[in-house]
This record gives sequence, C-alpha cells and structure tokens, in this order.
Amino acid sequence: MTPRRRRMVLVLGIVGGVSIAGALALSAFRQNVTFFFDPTQVAAGQVPAGERFRLGGMVTQGSLHRAPGSLEVRFVVTDFSHDVPVSYTGVLPDLFREGAGVVAHGQMRHDGTFVADEVLAKHDEKYMPPEVARSLKKRHGESRADGTAPPSTPSSGDTQPPAAAHASPPSAGT
Amino acid sequence: MSRFGSPAAGVVAQAGATHTQQSMGWAGSRQAPLLDAARLALARDLQLAFRKRGQLVQPLAFFAMVTMLFPLAISPELARLREIAPGVLWAGALLASLLALEFLFRDDAYDGTLEQYALSGQSLTWLMFAKTAAHWLLTGLPLALMAPLAALSLGVSAAAVPGIVASVAVGSVALSLIGSIGAALTLGIKRSGALLSLLTLPLSLPVLIFGARATQLAISGGPLLAPLELLAAVAVLGVTLAPLAAAAAVRISLE
Amino acid sequence: MTWTWFHRLGSPPYIYALAARLTPWFAWPAALLIIGGLWGGLVLAPADYQQGDGFRIIYVHAPSAWMSLMVYTTMAIAAAVGLIWRIKVAHAVAASCAPIGASFTFAALVTGALWGEPMWGTYWEWDPRLTSELILLFLYLGYMGLRAGLEDTQRADRASAVLAVVGVVNVPIIHYSVTWWNSLHQAPSVMRLAKPTMAASMLVPLLMMLLGFTLFFGAVLLVRLRGEVLSRERSASWIREVVSA
Repeated sequence: MTPRRRRMVLVLGIVGGVSIAGALALSAFRQNVTFFFDPTQVAAGQVPAGERFRLGGMVTQGSLHRAPGSLEVRFVVTDFSHDVPVSYTGVLPDLFREGAGVVAHGQMRHDGTFVADEVLAKHDEKYMPPEVARSLKKRHGESRADGTAPPSTPSSGDTQPPAAAHASPPSAGT
Repeated sequence: MSRFGSPAAGVVAQAGATHTQQSMGWAGSRQAPLLDAARLALARDLQLAFRKRGQLVQPLAFFAMVTMLFPLAISPELARLREIAPGVLWAGALLASLLALEFLFRDDAYDGTLEQYALSGQSLTWLMFAKTAAHWLLTGLPLALMAPLAALSLGVSAAAVPGIVASVAVGSVALSLIGSIGAALTLGIKRSGALLSLLTLPLSLPVLIFGARATQLAISGGPLLAPLELLAAVAVLGVTLAPLAAAAAVRISLE
Repeated sequence: MTWTWFHRLGSPPYIYALAARLTPWFAWPAALLIIGGLWGGLVLAPADYQQGDGFRIIYVHAPSAWMSLMVYTTMAIAAAVGLIWRIKVAHAVAASCAPIGASFTFAALVTGALWGEPMWGTYWEWDPRLTSELILLFLYLGYMGLRAGLEDTQRADRASAVLAVVGVVNVPIIHYSVTWWNSLHQAPSVMRLAKPTMAASMLVPLLMMLLGFTLFFGAVLLVRLRGEVLSRERSASWIREVVSA
C-alpha cells in the first residue's frame, strides 16, 4: 500500500470504529442505563424482585408523616405518573423537602412499600435569593409548601422521568 | 528461542521483506501481506504460549483463588454470596487480566522480537493488534469460560450462565486492549507491576462497572442488553484506537 | 506573515524569558479576581433560597472542578503537539500541568464532599459524576507515576504524552455524566448552552472566580514551566549566562 492509501485506510478505520462505538452507546442509553430507577420503571416491573436498588423522584406534597416518638418517616415518591410509598428510619438530610428531589437506597417490600436505609436529597442547578424565589412563586400563583418548588416547571427539571430528562436540552453545554 | 527473537519472529520479518519486494511491483494493489504478518504473529504467540503452559495457567488459577477468598472471608451463605457475585467475578477477572498483562510484551522486549517487528516494515499497529488478540485468546476467553464455574460456586443459578459468559467475553476484549496500552507504556521499567495497575485500572473502571451491571442483571434475570452494548462500545473503541496507541508506545520504548 | 514567532516558542531560552515576563500579567489579575470573587461570593451575594449559606462552597468547588477538566485538556493538547511536531517545550508544558491539575481535581473532590454532606446527606456517593472525577485524579497520578518511572526525559515525555492523549476520553464523560445518566449531582448552572440558572448577584462572583482560577492556573503553569525548562536544560550554556547574570 502506498503511504497515502495507508493513511486513508487508517482514517476510515478510526472513523468507522468510533461511529460503531457511538452507535452502540447511543442504543444502550436509549434503554435503561440509570443511576436510579423512577416510580414508572418500578411500576413497569423493570426492577427485578428482591434486588436492592436506588429509587429517585420527587417527594409528593403533603405525603410526609413522622411516627411519633421514633425516627420513622413515611413519604411518597412520585414522577407525576406513578407513586411509590417509602418508609425510612433515620435522620433526613437538611434539603429533604416535600416537592423536592430525593434518591433513596433500599428494597421493595411485598406490600409495595419501598423500605429505604439511606435517603439522599437531590437539589437542582438553580440558585437564587429567597426573595426572588418567593416573588417568582407568587407570580406563578403556585402554593407549594416552603418555596422549595422551582418557579416555572412542574417538576424540578432534574428529577423528571429519565425519558424526559434525556430529551430536555437545558443541561447540555460546555 | 534464539537470542534475536524466535524463529517465528524471523518469519514475520521475512513476510515483511517479501511484502516490500512485492509492493515495489504492485504498488499497493494488495493488502494480503499486511494481514499475513499479523496472522503469523498471532500464530507465533499462541504457539509460544502453549510451550509455556505453566505461565498460561497462572492468571486462571489466580482468578479461581480470588473468587474463592470471598466465601471464606465474608460468609458461606449462598444468598449473600449471590448478591456480591457480580462484583467478585469482575474484580477477579480484572485483576487476573492485569496479572497476565505483564507477560504481554515482556519476553518479546527482552529477546528483541519487538524491535524486529518495528523494523520489519510491517504495520506495527496490526502486529500489536495480533499480539493483543493472542493475549485475549489466552486469558480473556478462558476467563469467560471459567466465570460460570466461579459463579455457580457463589450460588448463582445456571440460567445466568449465558449472560455471564457473554459479558466476561466482551468485557475482557476491552480489558486486553486497554491493558496493551499500559503494558507498552511501561516497557523497560523495572518492577513495573504497581505502575501498570495505576495506568490501567482507571481506564478499565468503565468495563468493571458495565460488566458487573450486566452480570448482576444476568443473575437477577433482568434485561442485560444495555450494559452489554456499552461493553461492546468500549471494546470496539479499544479495537480501533488501542493498537495505534500501543504501537506508538512500543516505538517510543525502542527509540 | 512569518512564522518566526511560532518557531521561537520552541526555543527554551526564549520561553524561559517569556514565561518570566508574562507571569505577573497572570498573577496580579488572578489575585484581584479571586479576592473580589470571594468577597462577592461569601459576603455580598445573598443566601440561596434552598441551600441557605451552604451553597457558597460553589465559589471554590465549581471553579476547581472546571479547572480539573481544563488543565487536563491543556495537558493533552500540549502532549499531542509535542508528540506530533516533536517540540520539547510542549512536553515541558504538559509535564508542568499534571501536578496543578491533580491539585485542582483533589480540591474539587474535597469541596464536593464537604458540600454533599449537608445538602445531599452524604460525603460520597458512587454517582457517575463523582466516580468519573475520581478516575480523572487517578489519570493525573498515573501520568505523574509514568513520568517518574521513566528515567530518560525524552522517553518519559513521549510515553506520558501517549497516556495523556488516551485519557482524554474521560473528559467528555465527566462533563456529560450528569446529562447521560440521571445522577445525584445537579446539572451545570453556568457551563451550558442556555442562560445560566443563577441569579445575577450570585453569578457575577462565580464568573470572577472562574476567570481568576483560570489566570491563577496560567501563572502557576508559567512558574512551573520555568523550573521545568531550567532542569531540562541544566547542561546548556545559556543557563550559565542566566544564572550568573
């Protein structure tokens, strides 16, 4: 082979290989490669029975109940199409709010309750002073608990079901 | 083996010589000699490995020992072992493949075979690909075939076997290729074992993550296509780029 | 236009002098921007509506994380330039980048852990973003280890350059990890195509810190580069002139 032709083959080979790898990765991402499962996936039975997994979603407004005299809490995690009740014993992180995102580690019980042994709060990428958050909330006429709900979107952007999260452009960029 | 490389290496070099003669007349009209050399290098590596069977068995025995540590160290309770089986299998496979990497270029660097390859006029990239392919046939493939045995001893049901074999087979291709870069970069460094791990492990972690995920799904009966595709993506990317990088690294070590 | 200015960049004595001349132009603005940014971020900026004062760690965390990627990219580009055109000074730049980048990566991981504890409820989580950033730290350490393992400078340059270029695959993985996987880590607020999701009073100090950190990296790189050039050229005659002058 002449050097020129050899270089052509090399470049074509690299382009071809990288495209095949990219296509495989894209196809994988279309299915479920997630850090956590959302309630819809749980309802669809994508989580194998008896396996420990991470459950992610939003805490439903008004669903938080504390058992008196103990650290046990119950709340409902939702992705606005399906709900999963969660029970947890322990200290909740500071940012745990109704209407905000959570990721919980644990296991499904037979009665359909998710028993968590660790609850993490997931916050979004929006930062603003409290006054601005309050006035935005007033303008949108939303009556969420304590200003935790981000102003313009129904769900806080980052805790949407993954299909929507993949489709939403705002988190792309350099 | 002669002092200046094995006889087979001479054959590869000769193939190179005929190729240069041919290419004077036929100026790039045939690609066959190029792949001939790679095939000869592959056959040579396999032949050499079967002459030194002791070395061949080492990584496999190591893999068996590592997977045996966990039932003894954690608990022999099968339900618990089944839970940690994916991690145990993949950590074991990763370490065994790492252990085998030291043999990939070491002897060929000592006896001058690599130098002959580099001077043969053949594409060093293809020769590196051939050597890595031989390495996978000798370690990755046997590991993939052994993984079900280890899995069964960890209480995994037989239904998971095809998924486990597939994930270890594809994943070990990626591990061999990533490792070939590290092995070529550390050529000539004395006691390079720790450095080789430091270079190779970070790049291998995606393989470990997707491989363990695929194995976990195979055990629990979930859909494992997505992590397998990611493993395949890493492997294809490795096939495309790793021989180039390894060839560059070998050239640098010979400068 | 002539290319002499470009070729002069490959000359060690010229680079040595140029680095010395340029250093203050990076160092002073960096100091002013970082002081201003810290003042703006820690004192003037209002508390966050969700995270209160805790969010202020972003003024150190985000610039460190940003620099960890930017330094790696710089290092890989310099390494590739050195590998392709065989420019020694480019290898010296790459070698000088590594410890700086490793420090920024370490700082990003530590500040991230300190931020994660109060907000998420955990110092560490095996989340795609956190894991890939940890891999970046190991890549830097591997690069430095390989350089230390090879005694011949020229071979160390070229071998470590191959490693630096191979490791570039991790950079987009880190950046897009929060988009590709649904992760515990929030999406970027500033480094995105759309408008930043941050109130202006908080954003301005953050941008000052980003620019300040970038210039600080430039200043440290120039100082390290001088040291690197000095040690590489230690037997050259121009060094004797520089030292005796």
